[in-house]
This record gives sequence, structure tokens and C-alpha cells, in this order.
Amino acid sequence: MKRSLLTSMRCDATQGAMRRMKILLAAPVALTSAGCVQVSAPEKPIEINLNINIRQEVVVRLQQDVRDLIKENPGVF
Amino acid sequence: MSRRTRLILAAGVALAVVAGGATVASAMMQDASAQLRASGQVGEQADGYLGLVGSAPAAVRAQVDSVNIKRRAYYTDLAAKRGAKIEEVAATTACELFRTKVGAGQYYRLPDGVWRQRDGGTPIPLPGYCG
Repeated sequence: MKRSLLTSMRCDATQGAMRRMKILLAAPVALTSAGCVQVSAPEKPIEINLNINIRQEVVVRLQQDVRDLIKENPGVF
Repeated sequence: MSRRTRLILAAGVALAVVAGGATVASAMMQDASAQLRASGQVGEQADGYLGLVGSAPAAVRAQVDSVNIKRRAYYTDLAAKRGAKIEEVAATTACELFRTKVGAGQYYRLPDGVWRQRDGGTPIPLPGYCG
């Protein structure tokens, strides 16, 4: 009887320590995941909208700038 | 051969390798979009971005995304400078790319959303706003 009580007491202590350990282990994990900004690569990063409503005068005004842009960045255009 | 000569030679070789690698990398960067268009897996779109013609491998998709992100940055920059919308700058660029960069046999996509292949002699029929 006495022996079993002792055993159970020791067991309680161990369980308590284990629980504390788990909390200690869980805390940094929770902190890391909270501080980390989840960046997952989306399938389509840029929404392609082909239904564009463009006025010709705007195009004419931008044309020269755009030509320069293309010329200066051959890898991108 | 003295130890010093050998050291100098080794340094020279290392430098040449690094410089050569950098040249190759920059050459690849220089015509990334041209190479993508030439692959037949990628085409120019009326919205000013590259698009995938069919289902392309992940490596191609990554390259397209990379080019498009850079394009977006340039469009945003120019739009801010000229007080225009990003879409307007992008569409104007598309007009120009349709005119000058899409070669024979390469793909393009007008506002109707259909992928077409440019045939040899004829220019791409441009949207009305292209002027």
C-alpha cells in the first residue's frame, strides 16, 4: 500500500515535469510560427485581366516612354 | 614553377571562371523574355504581361512569373511618373511588343483571350486603342 502510494506520487511528479517540458517546448514553436509571415507562392501571382478599357490618346501619350522602357530592358520585354 | 607563380595562375583561372559565369548569366538574363517567346510555350498578352500558352513546366512558369513581376514594377514606376494607370502603361507596352517583339510562329493573345500564332509576313492585328 505504502509502496504503491510512493510510486504513484513519483509518477505524478514525472507527469508534471513532462507537462512543463511540453509547454516549454511548445512555447518557442508557437512563437516562431506566430512571428513568421507565411509566404506561399501563388499559382498565378498576377491576375491577368484582358478586358482592358484603354483610350487611344493615353496610348499615344505614353508611346515614347514605353519604347524607351523596352529598349532599356531587353531581358524583361 | 615557383609556388608564387602557381598561386597567381590559380587566381587568374578562378577569376576567369567567375567572370565567364557572370557573363553567361547576364547573357541569359538579357534575352529571357525573347527566349520564352521563342520556346512556343509562352506568348505576349494584350495586358502587357507574358502568358503561358498551354500547361508549361514549373521552370517555365517560374521564369514567366519572374519576368512579369519585373514588368509590373516598371509599369508601376512609369505610371506614377506620367500620372497614368498601371494598366494603361501595360497595354501601351503590349501594343509596342506586338509590333516589334513577337516573331513569326510566336504566340500572342488579344483582348478576346484567344491564343494565336503569328504567321510569317503579316503583322499582328492590333487592338483599336494601339493607334
